Amino acid sequence: MVLLRDGMCPGLDEGLVRGLRAADIKTVEDLVSSDMEELAQRCSVSYKALFAIRRVLLAQHAAFPVSGADLYEELLSSTAILSTGNPSLDKLLDSGLYTGEITELSGGPGSGKSQVCFGVAVHISHQLKQNVIYVDTTGGLTAGRLLQMLQAETSNAEEQMEALQRIRVFRLFDVFSLLDCLYGLCGGGLQRASVGGGSVKAVIVDSVSAVIAPLLGGKQNEGMSLMSQVAGVLKTMAKDFNVAALVTNHVTRSGGGGGGGAPALGAAWSHIPRTRVLLEKGGDVRRPGLRSATLIKSSRRPLLIKEEFDLKWWSRSKEEGGGAAAAASGKRKRDETDS
Amino acid sequence: SEMTSQRRRREEEEVRAEMSESGAQLFARLEARRCLKDIEPRLFPGDGGPQHGEVVELYGSEGTGKTELLYHLLCRCVLPNAAGGLEADVVFVDTDYSLDMLRLVSIMESRLNSWMRENNEEACRSCLSRLLVVHCSSSSQLLLTLHFLENSFSSRPGLALLLIDSISAFYWPDRCEGGANLAKQEEKLSKCSELLGRLLRDYRITVFATCHAIRRSYSGPSSSSFSDPDRPYLCRAWQRLVIHRLLCSRQEAGNNMAATAGRRQVLTVHCTSSSSSGTKAHRSSSFYVTDGGVEFT
Repeated sequence: MVLLRDGMCPGLDEGLVRGLRAADIKTVEDLVSSDMEELAQRCSVSYKALFAIRRVLLAQHAAFPVSGADLYEELLSSTAILSTGNPSLDKLLDSGLYTGEITELSGGPGSGKSQVCFGVAVHISHQLKQNVIYVDTTGGLTAGRLLQMLQAETSNAEEQMEALQRIRVFRLFDVFSLLDCLYGLCGGGLQRASVGGGSVKAVIVDSVSAVIAPLLGGKQNEGMSLMSQVAGVLKTMAKDFNVAALVTNHVTRSGGGGGGGAPALGAAWSHIPRTRVLLEKGGDVRRPGLRSATLIKSSRRPLLIKEEFDLKWWSRSKEEGGGAAAAASGKRKRDETDS
Repeated sequence: SEMTSQRRRREEEEVRAEMSESGAQLFARLEARRCLKDIEPRLFPGDGGPQHGEVVELYGSEGTGKTELLYHLLCRCVLPNAAGGLEADVVFVDTDYSLDMLRLVSIMESRLNSWMRENNEEACRSCLSRLLVVHCSSSSQLLLTLHFLENSFSSRPGLALLLIDSISAFYWPDRCEGGANLAKQEEKLSKCSELLGRLLRDYRITVFATCHAIRRSYSGPSSSSFSDPDRPYLCRAWQRLVIHRLLCSRQEAGNNMAATAGRRQVLTVHCTSSSSSGTKAHRSSSFYVTDGGVEFT
């Protein structure tokens, strides 16, 4: 709702605004929806002047249609795919996190959502040399852990510091601070956070359900409305600034019972992320870092495909990488011959 | 003062002549827009399909194929006649950034591929130029945008289809803004619906709109029977506009997710068409989603 104010457009002076208000026309929507002839008579202005004002206000406030061809061209040139650093996860996501979209990672406690987010942040800041915004609503992020992961990537202390500087952390614990932070980012914060030559390519919110879930349920509508607002600003940010948004969500026991949980935040949230991945523990006690990721929503890959990966992937050191894989396969061979 | 009032009257008459429709505009408005009755006969009962000025609502929860159906209908409209299309222009109103252009183009390319092997890019571009995309971020902006689109409808007689994905995007923010007053909660969408009704009558376009389900429908006897998850929840003014209602759902494959991995998920659509005499016709169809888009079984 946009209130009519004098000076909004040429011809809309204070006298006219007062006259319109007297005729019960207070907003741009009211003006645009009314009968021009009748209104011109009531406010004793010329039909031509009022019509011109209507045309200008409409052009200023309505959304502008874009040709599909132009939109596609723009998307081709601006969309980027960010690798998560883990080849199995990348395969699941059809090469990685797409800019302009929200990707959701859901899972129960200990399923590794935050670890995956740390790994993604470290990979983007160190390997891809781009900036990352990390919004931590659970208090689970420590610089020490990020440094540990970076030390596995490179032993050069300067590179480690550079990569750490590219990760900008916001710690907040309620939805209003989250909205404040996101609106601030949209309103210039993203440009300010672009240091060291790169630009912000990813915004990670870990977790979005921690701040929204307490507001849902009961008879209040405010929770749902705030959820819509968070979704709206995340999508706008992803689209307008070409960033990949990665959010985490917890799970609830699904209504049907049995099997794993379903992502939380309900049916209204389920439409919001473009891609959704469910993370579960691997179930093999000998490999505690093993996780399985199931694709539960995607517009690009068939549903319910699974990929397995080890959380330790992001902490493995480069030199040991090949060795660890060989050791693992060697161990498996030994087990097979045992049985 | 006699002269000034005369002059003013003459001025206004001139302006009115400018403002009122030119012959070309009148023709554009009244000329029969491409009737989209044959847009997808497999969805509608009898030999039915949406007539001029009718609204089709696609209702369902996440993952039931509503947006994929919109891509299917979009491609059907913009493709050239030789490739099985209707060569009609389309406006896509995107209210929750759900339009995936990359996915749309991949569906378009696979449909063009089955018709002509080379020069796909050129054909794709010309199809995309028949599409107008507009993004709205609030129901107030939706109202203003529909007013603005009136210009597009009057100047492009080829515009036959308006797609809205989704009409329910602002339901919760509007409800919250309206406070405890139901009429206030529904006011904005009602205004949009009334305006849409007038545009439908004046320009005879066809509208397909998706509506997200707000309650998960649980299978099994333990589900709460007093709140039907498929009951329409949007305002009356919108419900009055809807002639055809397509209920989209997933075919239940049991609780064991692993069993259905890799196998294509079958989606069903149940269509209820209300006629002017008050009778309702029904039709059920099913489809699955492939790389090339929707395929009916």
